[in-house]
Amino acid sequence: MSESKFETVSSLVDSYQVNDELFDEIVKDSHLSDTWDRYHLIGDALRDEVPAAINIDLSLNIANAIADEPTVLAPVVKVSFSETVKAKVIQFAKPFGQVAIAASAAGLMIFNVQQNVADNESFTPNQIVQTNPFGGIAEPVSLNYQQNSQVSQKQAFVEQQRRFQALLQDHQQQVKFTVPANSVAEPVVEAEDTPK
Amino acid sequence: MRLLVRLLLLVTISSPALAEEAKNISSVESITPVENAGSWLKRLSHSLKTLNFSTSFVVVKNNHAEPYHWFHGVNEKGAELEILSLLNGARRDVLRKDNVISYIEPELPPYSILSTELRGPIPNILSGDIQKLSAAYNFNLVGKSRILGRSAQLIRIVAKDNNRYGHWLWLDQKTGLLLKMAVATRKGQLLEQVQFTHLDITESPAESLRQLQSTELPKILEIPKGYQQQKLLWQVDWLPKGFKRLNANRHRINSTKQPVEFMLFSDGLVDVSVYVTPSKEQRAVDFVMDGATVALNQAIKGVEISVVGKIPSKTAKRIADSVILLAPSTSSVQP
Repeated sequence: MSESKFETVSSLVDSYQVNDELFDEIVKDSHLSDTWDRYHLIGDALRDEVPAAINIDLSLNIANAIADEPTVLAPVVKVSFSETVKAKVIQFAKPFGQVAIAASAAGLMIFNVQQNVADNESFTPNQIVQTNPFGGIAEPVSLNYQQNSQVSQKQAFVEQQRRFQALLQDHQQQVKFTVPANSVAEPVVEAEDTPK
Repeated sequence: MRLLVRLLLLVTISSPALAEEAKNISSVESITPVENAGSWLKRLSHSLKTLNFSTSFVVVKNNHAEPYHWFHGVNEKGAELEILSLLNGARRDVLRKDNVISYIEPELPPYSILSTELRGPIPNILSGDIQKLSAAYNFNLVGKSRILGRSAQLIRIVAKDNNRYGHWLWLDQKTGLLLKMAVATRKGQLLEQVQFTHLDITESPAESLRQLQSTELPKILEIPKGYQQQKLLWQVDWLPKGFKRLNANRHRINSTKQPVEFMLFSDGLVDVSVYVTPSKEQRAVDFVMDGATVALNQAIKGVEISVVGKIPSKTAKRIADSVILLAPSTSSVQP
């Protein structure tokens, strides 16, 4: 840092020289800007314009100011506090609401599914396509509903299930046996030519 | 439930993979323009009859699932070959060589039937002339979705009256084949679903079909002439529009040996059986549901009437109540 630079800063502080380029240089160079600060402070001191106390510690100042005006600040603080609480409540409430909706939707689905299963099981013989289907018949849930109240009732129920099982099976069988009338006539003739 | 569906819908809509598929769809469509539900179903029928495919599907009913394997092929002579096997429990196989269909089941010795209509979980009409259904059903083009990793078009076969369930079909955009099927109430509750889990389309028929070709099928069951059109002493007075009688006979129910008089009706998509037999008991109406199939039974005034089929229980009840005896004495119902 050359002496001439400090000289030019000095002349700038004394307003002898006004030069944009110089200003830029000072701003960019921390040494020069410090020098500029110092020169101004020296000038102020020489002219007796230095403030009574240079407030270097701002935080202390602010702390003092706050201590001085507690009555003014207090209500403001209170209001803002309540507002933030409210905002938080809303924030919490929203996700809870969403969770609640999702949960109720899921609950509804589960409910529906359970209902379906219950409905079906109470009505359905386990499998129509079983060789010995009567093993599966005791399984339907509705049997539990009856809770061995009366053995005869249970027997009637089993009897009914057996009947349905037989009907479903026979229906399948008859559908296979049944040949549509229009397609019966033609293939029967062809049947004799069909290679065996 | 609806909420869930909407959520799923949102997820699928927002997935970028779908967007890409949507692009593919549009390019496929530009090659083979398919505009309405009817032409989609025509394409399905054509694909089911002409493609060589090997596929697996699961039938999901209320509380159980039944897995199947299904092979279909067309041999050099143009004859269709099919194998449908239930994979769980006792063996149940259906074999088809052109117009001979063999059923191998635990209840009966193996037998064959002269027919081209293989009876399985998938309605026959889907590979037949679906326009036959147009008197009683509407075909609706609904929307696109992703099924079995493929982009699919949803078609709904919806009854014109409210006496029947709807059938929802998800069809492959590329081949037109079935990827998923559901039987649903008018309110959209799914009662039964057929979900395909694997689909292979090949140039030539699968090896198992080639073996089938050289296999001798069980003896053809001879159905005596007129057996299916016997004169019974009762009739069903009410049926939803479009139902026709296919069978009327006397037989014994296989598992209980109970003699019954029987009629089978079909509207082309669903089959409904009606059983009538004399009964000393008095029983209020009761029914069970096996997936979409209802079995309803009641014994009133000395006559036991049962109705079985993929119809709402209300419809079954109405059919049962419409049965009228033509002869006053119930003893004449005895076979």
